[in-house]
Amino acid sequence: MEVWRLLRTWSGAPGYNMALDEALLLGSARPTLRLYTWEPEALSLGYFQRARDVPNLERAHAAVRRLTGGGAIHHAHELTFSITAPLEHPLYAGEVRGSYERVHAAIADALATFGVHAELRGTSALQSDREGTGMCFEHSTDLDLAWSGAKGVGSAQRRTKGRVLHHGSIKLDRSPLDASVAAIRDVAPSATLEQVAERLLASFASRFGVEFETAEPSKAEGARASERTSHFTSNAFVHRR
Amino acid sequence: MRPDDRKYTKSHEWVKLDGDTIKIGITDFAVTELCSGNEGDLVYCDLPEPGRELDAGETFGEIESVKAVADLNTPLAGTVAEVNVAIEEHLEILSRDPFNDGWMIKITPKSKSLDVDGLMDAAAYEELLAAKEA
Repeated sequence: MEVWRLLRTWSGAPGYNMALDEALLLGSARPTLRLYTWEPEALSLGYFQRARDVPNLERAHAAVRRLTGGGAIHHAHELTFSITAPLEHPLYAGEVRGSYERVHAAIADALATFGVHAELRGTSALQSDREGTGMCFEHSTDLDLAWSGAKGVGSAQRRTKGRVLHHGSIKLDRSPLDASVAAIRDVAPSATLEQVAERLLASFASRFGVEFETAEPSKAEGARASERTSHFTSNAFVHRR
Repeated sequence: MRPDDRKYTKSHEWVKLDGDTIKIGITDFAVTELCSGNEGDLVYCDLPEPGRELDAGETFGEIESVKAVADLNTPLAGTVAEVNVAIEEHLEILSRDPFNDGWMIKITPKSKSLDVDGLMDAAAYEELLAAKEA
């Protein structure tokens, strides 16, 4: 059975969170699942977004720009995950679409244990979709996981040098800057972040036939992340477009 | 069969001699991987400015589909001579004609030879794709 590294990095600073994902993308060849949260809460812009297209940027206390595309996310009351793996890995080989279907199916399994019936959005837009906000959770696509007429899981990928970084946000609750998301606690009010994390691990293990080995970032990954932390919060990068 | 007048990389770029320059683009396979045949799923392409010097293997641009940002790499060293700016406004060109109108950049190469390690002719590239789909 394949063994993935499992990193749990709770309450990471926004810049460090993005820098560690970058270090993992460029680091170990071994598939790695990272589960993390943010302290302080922060807004992340998609790699190609124009800052002026995201009005919430001015309201956010902290901001970063991601390596992945898509819309802005307010990282609060959520479990954030990242998967880093070689592009040849069966989870990611082939069309991008297929990899989303596989990963989101595993997340949907985990959510089902809370009574949340998350499904791929499909062809119809959601009630929560809105123009002009630049927010990921208000701009759904057919591969997004939704329930109660809104998007509850947003994820995006970066593919570089034969590797993939796939990260995403699973919403436990709404925040003032992400007020229209579908939330796990709408269905399961007592659900905790730790429970969501553990059930996600169980679902990934079952769906993908893998085991997890709890680990820390390697020295090289940690050093690279520390070195690059300030880049992801820098004015030059956040406002590069 | 893909065009046999050029060479291909395993990361699905193509390179073709064009007078004193070399054209670089991405293959239909790369486009399909990103957008699964939905040309509207390609949302942004960032290409370099003319005059930029590129090393072999360097990332010269980035392309975003609805669900992934991917690097664009040059297998050959050279200086960017011309950029197909039409792509940045009309990404559908990449879906409709990736091997001709969908060229991305022209470089003035340090060496005009396409006989470089890692570059495949069309037949070898087809074999690579067949192995992926097997």
